[in-house]
Amino acid sequence: MVVHLWNLLDLVLAGLVVALGWSAVASSDLKRGVVLFIAFGLLLAIIWARLNAPDLALAEAAIGAGLSGALLLAALRDEPASVGDTGFTQGPVAWATAVFSLVVAVSFAWALLHAHAAGDPIRLADEVIAHLEQSGVSNPVTAVLLNYRAYDTLLELAVLLAAVLGIMAVGPARPTYKPAGPLFGALVTWLVPLLIVTGGYLLWVGAHAPGGAFQAGALLAAAAVLLRLGGYPGAGLPGSLVQRWLLVSGVGVFITVGLLVTVEGRAFLQYSHGWSGMLILLIEIAATLAIATTLALAYIGGRALSSQHDRPEQ
Amino acid sequence: MNNLLIWPIMLPLLAALAAVILPAQVNRIGITAGLASLVAVVLLLSRVATEGPLLLALGGWTPGLGIALRADALSVSLILMVSLVALAAGIYATGYFAKQDDRARFWPLWLLLVSALHALLLSADLFNIYVTLELLGITAVALAAIKAERDAVEAALRYLVVGLLGSLMFLAGVALIYARYGTLDMIALGDSMQPEPAAWVALALMSTGLLIKCALFPLHFWLPPAHANAPAPVSAALSALVVKAAFYLVARFWLDLFDGVVTVDAARLLGLLGAAAVLWGSWQALRAQRLKLLAAYSTVAQLGYLFLFLPLLVMMPPGTARDTAFGALVLLAITHGFAKSALFLSIGVIQQRAGHDRIAELGGTARRLPVTTFTLALAGVALIGLPPSGTFLAKWELLSSAFAAGEWLWVAVVALGSVLAAAYTFRVLGHAFGPGEGVAHVLAWRREELPSLVLALIATVVLGLGAAYVWQFVAPGAFAAEVL
Amino acid sequence: MLATDLIYSFAGVALFALGLRAALLHRTLLGRVLSINICGAGIFLVFVALAYRGHDLAPDAVPHALVLTGIVVAVSATALALALGRRLHEAGDE
Repeated sequence: MVVHLWNLLDLVLAGLVVALGWSAVASSDLKRGVVLFIAFGLLLAIIWARLNAPDLALAEAAIGAGLSGALLLAALRDEPASVGDTGFTQGPVAWATAVFSLVVAVSFAWALLHAHAAGDPIRLADEVIAHLEQSGVSNPVTAVLLNYRAYDTLLELAVLLAAVLGIMAVGPARPTYKPAGPLFGALVTWLVPLLIVTGGYLLWVGAHAPGGAFQAGALLAAAAVLLRLGGYPGAGLPGSLVQRWLLVSGVGVFITVGLLVTVEGRAFLQYSHGWSGMLILLIEIAATLAIATTLALAYIGGRALSSQHDRPEQ
Repeated sequence: MNNLLIWPIMLPLLAALAAVILPAQVNRIGITAGLASLVAVVLLLSRVATEGPLLLALGGWTPGLGIALRADALSVSLILMVSLVALAAGIYATGYFAKQDDRARFWPLWLLLVSALHALLLSADLFNIYVTLELLGITAVALAAIKAERDAVEAALRYLVVGLLGSLMFLAGVALIYARYGTLDMIALGDSMQPEPAAWVALALMSTGLLIKCALFPLHFWLPPAHANAPAPVSAALSALVVKAAFYLVARFWLDLFDGVVTVDAARLLGLLGAAAVLWGSWQALRAQRLKLLAAYSTVAQLGYLFLFLPLLVMMPPGTARDTAFGALVLLAITHGFAKSALFLSIGVIQQRAGHDRIAELGGTARRLPVTTFTLALAGVALIGLPPSGTFLAKWELLSSAFAAGEWLWVAVVALGSVLAAAYTFRVLGHAFGPGEGVAHVLAWRREELPSLVLALIATVVLGLGAAYVWQFVAPGAFAAEVL
Repeated sequence: MLATDLIYSFAGVALFALGLRAALLHRTLLGRVLSINICGAGIFLVFVALAYRGHDLAPDAVPHALVLTGIVVAVSATALALALGRRLHEAGDE
């Protein structure tokens, strides 16, 4: 086994992340749990960076810690009563669950050890790089997401759409916040354009450096969340009809591109020679807008449009 | 190019997008999409029948690096059932959701659900199956909660949490498989899978996750409230299609992908749980006070029958006997899909007319809704397993195989389960034919009663008389590893 | 095999099991949602750990893409669960 001096840091990071995860779910105080969860997400982002996964680090920080954290905090705010009723199931069920989890953990770890020992450590890595030139981008993760396994990404965008449709079907938007005071207002004025520009940059650069549609979309959604927190009920989103178009644009453009190439006798999503880079960029632009709209609406929690529904309060 | 395989997935998906943009046209969009994807499925079926299993390498990449779609006899038979049931339930839904708002919320999610089902059945990539499972789960939950009433939302939430845990266990198994074998392509894995720790634990994890989604006893607790509180077309889809998709994956893994790894004892455990499901589900159905709960518990029981097949199939050596048993399994699964959806749609009609679905107060239904009562009876015939339904032939085959293998316990369970099913069916019919206020409409029928009638007829008559075709189609290709 | 793989894989397994246990035991929706997220993060850690091939070699991009997909799916499910929870809370007040 190859050990490195870095592994000392790894032990610390790994231990810390398990400790944070454990304390986030072990405490009955949900507020504490949510804050610890956000910290957990950020630590996880650092670990992704350590493991040579910068795209993941960006996504984890923006989506895993950022947006999930915002959703959880908003849920805490809306349902303070449930915080009092916290607690865990006690008694024999708790013991049985602990034993069950232990069995799962031990067998999983054992099987994983065997898999690492018996399996070929290269797996698909070399194949990804071998076909990279053909793929039209030079960031391997983007190549996998938008070329080799583009169909997965297409369905994943459909998952996002389904979730937000479900959220909008179930109720009206969350109550909004009062208009921002001078300090927060200034922050919003600076941050929102910065987020938008950075998002655009990440989208563009995702073809050859860490970044891409998901990270860009998440940043744009973060801008919308900030606007909402600053008391803008519409959160910077366009009108209802445009919203619908934006929501479907990700999946829509993906399917359109995928079907158009079949006209040439190619397989679904088999990009034409030399066009891969352009088609991927086109899909990513649509996907970014769709992801941003979806995540923003998911945070807002319902149809946010007409300001007469929103009551500036608190 | 086998691009035909992509159409059953993309047609409903495109229609879902259209339904979001054009909320005023949703009924038309939905039915058109249902018809169009049915046509695509039938074309697919005919090609598979003549050419054998079809493969489509998406993006043109070799499966492994890329994702492949595969259509073989098993998946295509199930997709045909899904398409037909979804179309019928969709037609019913056009009448069920009277208000424009409800319709606009229902159709995009419904079409996404259908797309997810098709995508799951055609997928040949492990991680892609995970994504389709998540799409399926989220759309199913959203549809179950669509009425936004307290009971429905509570049940949907439980379904979501439990379903997510199941998906994560499935994903853990996928991680193990990738760690050991370095590929996610199911066709390549089918050849390289070996009995070793990674495969055992992966199978255990993935199966547990899938068993949760199948609602196999004792992990069935989430199903009855979720299916009973959802709107009628949604309940039909949940019971007939969604849990069936999870079972398809169990069958695919245990009989095809992991067939070198699976042991008879492990399969026996599944069979035992299936037996418990048959007895417990049938008993609870007999005690149910509401029609929808009865139907939901009946689903728990019927799924148990499907699991009884697994140990038999694992035990049998390859040969015609095994192929015939496999054909029976597919026939049972499909017939149940039609019968259960017919049942839920009929219950929907009754509930809309009477305002409730309490069994004790069903009196007079036979006179008020003769067509629906007839449909209920037909569905009951298919659920019990009386001739000429497909279920009868399938159960007969199950009994013969169990007899031949000396599994007396299975025989007893099947017999007892059928008796209980007869009991709860006749209980319902007894009330329906009983006295009660029924305005004697002269054998009038309403348009909304038609879809369920057609489904029930397919279950009892078409599949019963046409069972030979099913066997011919499914059995030989059962464990075929060759792909085009 | 790299020690790095081992360390993070075990951390991932630990988080998976801890999240699983907590999800089964928590009584509140928020607690369960938190636990499910931790559970998922554990599996992601297992994936990324097996993608890591050392300081000099480029990592295996496929697990990275899978985890990215997983993160997005997780946030979608979280958002839906919390929205349903909010609806339940409102319905309880009616």
